[in-house]
Amino acid sequence: MAGAARTVQRSAAYRGRLDECKGDNGVSAERSFKKEVESLRLGAGDVFYGEGIVAVTKALLQSGVAYVGGYQGAPVSHMIDVLVDAEDLMADMGIHVETCANEAAAAAMLGASINYPLRGAVSWKSIVGTNVAADALSNLASPGVKGGALVIVGEDYGEGASVIQERTHAMAMKSGLWLLDPRPDLPNIVSMVERGFELSEASHAPVMMMLRVRACHVQGRFLAKDNVPPPVSTRNRLADPATFEYARLAHPPVSFAHERLKVDERLPAAQAFITEHGLNERTEGDLPAVGIILQGGLHNTLARRLSVLGLGDAFGASRLPLLVLNVVHPLVPGEITEFCRDKQAVLVLEEGNPEYIEHQVNVMLRKADLGTRVHGKDLLPPAGEYTAAVIQQGLLAFLEATRPADLDLAAVRAAAPSGPGAQADAADALPATLPPRPPQFCTGCPERPVFSAIKLIEREVGKVHISADIGCHAFATFEPFSLGNSILGYGMSLASAAAVAPFQQRRSISVMGDGGFWHNGLTTGVISTLLNDGDSVLVIMENGYTSATGQQVIPSSAMGRHGRSPGMHIETTLRALGVPWLKRVRSYSVSTMVDTLREALTTPERGLKVIIADGECQLARQRRLRGEVAGQLARGQRVVTPRFGVDDEVCTGDHSCIRLSGCPSLTVKPSPDPLRRDPVATVDPSCVGCGLCGEVAHAAALCPAFYQAERVRNPRPLERVLHGLRSTALRWMRNGAAGAA
Amino acid sequence: MSGVELQAFAGERPVSLLLAALGGEGGGVLTSWIVNAAQASDLPVQATSIPGVAQRTGATTYYIEIWPQPWSALNGRAPLLALAPAAGEVDVMAATELLEAGRAIRGGFVTPERTLLIASTHRVYTTAEKMQMGDGRYDPQPLRKAAQERAQRSLLLDLEAAARAIEAPLNSVLLGAIAGCGRLPIPEDAFRAGIRAEGKAAEANLRGFEAGLASVRGQVMDTPAAPRRARGPDVPTLLERVRREFPLTTQEVLELGVRRLVDYQDAHYGALYLDRLAPWREADGDLLATVARHLAVRMSYEDAIRVAQAKTRPERLARVRAETGAAPGDLVVITEFLKPGLEEICDILPEAPARALFALARRWPALGRIRPGLHLRTTTLWGYARLRMLAGLRRWRRGMWRFRREQERIEAWLELVRRATERDVALAMEVAECARLIKGYGDTHERGTGTYGRIEAALIRPALEAGRTSAAAAAAIAEAREAALADPDGRALEALLASAVAPAAPLEKAAAASA
Repeated sequence: MAGAARTVQRSAAYRGRLDECKGDNGVSAERSFKKEVESLRLGAGDVFYGEGIVAVTKALLQSGVAYVGGYQGAPVSHMIDVLVDAEDLMADMGIHVETCANEAAAAAMLGASINYPLRGAVSWKSIVGTNVAADALSNLASPGVKGGALVIVGEDYGEGASVIQERTHAMAMKSGLWLLDPRPDLPNIVSMVERGFELSEASHAPVMMMLRVRACHVQGRFLAKDNVPPPVSTRNRLADPATFEYARLAHPPVSFAHERLKVDERLPAAQAFITEHGLNERTEGDLPAVGIILQGGLHNTLARRLSVLGLGDAFGASRLPLLVLNVVHPLVPGEITEFCRDKQAVLVLEEGNPEYIEHQVNVMLRKADLGTRVHGKDLLPPAGEYTAAVIQQGLLAFLEATRPADLDLAAVRAAAPSGPGAQADAADALPATLPPRPPQFCTGCPERPVFSAIKLIEREVGKVHISADIGCHAFATFEPFSLGNSILGYGMSLASAAAVAPFQQRRSISVMGDGGFWHNGLTTGVISTLLNDGDSVLVIMENGYTSATGQQVIPSSAMGRHGRSPGMHIETTLRALGVPWLKRVRSYSVSTMVDTLREALTTPERGLKVIIADGECQLARQRRLRGEVAGQLARGQRVVTPRFGVDDEVCTGDHSCIRLSGCPSLTVKPSPDPLRRDPVATVDPSCVGCGLCGEVAHAAALCPAFYQAERVRNPRPLERVLHGLRSTALRWMRNGAAGAA
Repeated sequence: MSGVELQAFAGERPVSLLLAALGGEGGGVLTSWIVNAAQASDLPVQATSIPGVAQRTGATTYYIEIWPQPWSALNGRAPLLALAPAAGEVDVMAATELLEAGRAIRGGFVTPERTLLIASTHRVYTTAEKMQMGDGRYDPQPLRKAAQERAQRSLLLDLEAAARAIEAPLNSVLLGAIAGCGRLPIPEDAFRAGIRAEGKAAEANLRGFEAGLASVRGQVMDTPAAPRRARGPDVPTLLERVRREFPLTTQEVLELGVRRLVDYQDAHYGALYLDRLAPWREADGDLLATVARHLAVRMSYEDAIRVAQAKTRPERLARVRAETGAAPGDLVVITEFLKPGLEEICDILPEAPARALFALARRWPALGRIRPGLHLRTTTLWGYARLRMLAGLRRWRRGMWRFRREQERIEAWLELVRRATERDVALAMEVAECARLIKGYGDTHERGTGTYGRIEAALIRPALEAGRTSAAAAAAIAEAREAALADPDGRALEALLASAVAPAAPLEKAAAASA
């Protein structure tokens, strides 16, 4: 669960000189934010140990960054957390930190670098965040920047990704942003951050750095440098604003000049910088007739394949010449042609589609009149992640197609491990399809009961169209709910129902999280619907955080980043907008929610009907309670801990309750009744006693097998006495029962 | 160009460890423990993960590579470590759960040439398995077999039970097993030091670590199957009758049935059970056992009295108390969630008032919708007493309307089984098994009864009345029963029955084919 994940992903980092930590078994390994933030303070010569995105944060501090910001989203959610937790350090250095309301706000913040010599960095999840930021990014890229502007994007592509599969590359190309795809090795990633700012300043263009999912979470080490406080900072402010300069505006007529500037000046400047500073890396090999041009991010996978096939070693040497592109846009024609000259053929290893690099390499070679053959998507799959197996297959196909001299192809083939073969064998060993295990609502999640209620109301009024959204509530699209007809983006559910509702006999339901509401849903959904007199139902899950990304603070959080509430409320906002029909329902009250949904779906009153499902994120709540309960117990105060249970004698094994709940703690066990074969329901010890089991049992009139058991620690004296008396009487009655039976 | 000098690779490959876990199980912490221990041992190490939203109890993996030589021996060279596992190149595969071990095997990450598999034998069922109306659990046998056979070596242990027994986190037990498996170039003490240095919950984690370490030294730990309870008093005359009149192989089931029904009602009811089974005394033993099993369940149908009886059993409080983990000084308060409706009330009324009430409800539908949600505390005198009184109503059960109706339905079902027995044992078996569809309370019970009725009308009766072979009919009934359990809306069954009653009924075609 994310609560665990928060601590989990915070990898260990500690301070220690390189020579000191060798062979030192007594190093501290405490994983807490404090330690993580401590690692951001390391100085020249210290060894940083930790996770990719924390390393990037350290690199920002080493680069003299003046302002940072972003919007959370896997795989870079953690970066925002670190920035916030390092706020004291940042403040000391005069760095401004902003947790932006969405990615558009983050991108627009980079506007500070248009007029001022300020280095700024923002971060978000891509491709989705880049899409949201696109407007500001275009208007940033057009006038260009004075101070270095860097966007760190988590490329959520391939295994573990949670969004549509598209390339950030396209966005970089169309706006004239430079795109770094560093070889995923911490020293290189850190160096690319530093070089990225320089590249941005040298070419006056913003730079994006993409990190794949695994690179964001990679735990490694690098040799730290001293942090560099920004020359202009919150502690050393500018006396005056920038002078008026029309050329700095993304506005006609200068926008026409900007377009020309991008190609005439900034592009050549960037290419010159890339070459001059050797940002792309070449590995020479002894098979000069062939070579591989690859995205930096794929280097480790390729290098391992080469070493396994006997074409390279474990330290990065390769028999095939490599051109590792740490900068994938722009390409430098001279570098490409120089690499390809005298080669019969090259393989372009480029993940995702369309294959922009391969296309450009072809054009560059054609223009240079080189006959080098270019292989790529002809030998590798056009779509999908380039895993070890995929790259190996492509590599072997390339060698088969080119048959380089001095290469014993048979030996390479013999060395190739039969990955696919092993999979086929395994498939024989396990014939039936394995049950999938997608993510689901956490134990006790306040959003689950809302979908239980929707399932129940659908039994009554019939199926309704459900516009789903981005957030934990999207888990309702999985079993046992299977609810949701479309997902159009973060905060877009209500907007995506705009043209659905007019064609449905029943009203449609749009589901939105509070994160999505503030991110985008308020304007695109609510205001647009009000503007058009839309007649539909919106359910807003108010759990107090952006929960899916690790409980970051939102405008309506009870506690903000500075220890006080940001003071914004969904309800007052909606009332101010004039939403005519607005109800707040405790999300665990399934019966009330069913009644409210019924009314919303069937009332003759037209217009937008908003139901706020109120329930704090259970992960956050449990984390909060753990501390509180520990304190209460230490003080000897009364603590009541509820949990639910199932009488296995009463349960008949139909599992209706599971189909209405899907709680991880509500599971099955073999029937203890030897005459019944179907497994019975059971509540495992992870139950947090949220009460949904009882609510559902009541709302759906399910079965009487559920009970709630409250454990009372440190009971009051009177309570204890009463309980003692009751127990004696009950024992007497029970023994009577035993006798009677 | 001169030849590239490749550094010797033989014996110098990284040790790769792939960990499969469920989000929230502490796989990330486990990964960090290993990374820290490797770093503390001066070994180059790299770990990656793909947490994403899989953190929310979904299947996820963590991947670690450790270079077996310390930095000090590498003369400034840095080994290039991969970020993702490759099929066939995993040294240690650790899975916190059996199905996830299966998933890793399926992915090719467990290979006989190289992989040491450390897997827990316990199951955390997926939603897809749990939500089925019958038994949707994936058969664990192929999983266990593959876990044993597909790896170079397998260490299978019930991590969940081991962790629970010593009140330690599951991931710490797994860490111990990994540390002790002999494949990592890290001394055990480096792990201990790491846990200790962390401070937080160090004691429990160390306890788990040592237990995991001990568990991989040879033995395979496994949990015994949960004990099954036979309930009900000893009724010597009835049990004697079972032993005298029925075949030996069926006596166990019959004895369970008798005890259950005497507990449910009284000795006469137990005797009725045996009377009802008498026609199958000479029949096939499996058939008799099947009929006996279902008959006992059907005769002990679920009504408010039975629920009250179960909830007031003397041993229940202790069981619930243990579940809460209550310490001696703690109090435990139990609240029952009951929602009696018109039907539950009519169930325990005699026929005339029950019919009258139903008639009234037809006229005023609002009456039928009244379902007070009761929160009854069985740890209070009044709460317990009310349930005891309800349980005590069983002595008047015979006069209740539901009893009459249930007996009629049971007799009708038994009659069908009897007629089928005359034709063919396999057919009779399938007819008997259809009783499985009728279970639960309220809507669930109604749905099951309806489903059974549809199968009876569409397949069972035609099969008994047609004069043809019954093998195909038996298969069709079995198929319909599976379809009935496929989804709660009855769509699969509808589709199946629609195709079965279509002009060229497949049933008949199949019958013709098998004739």
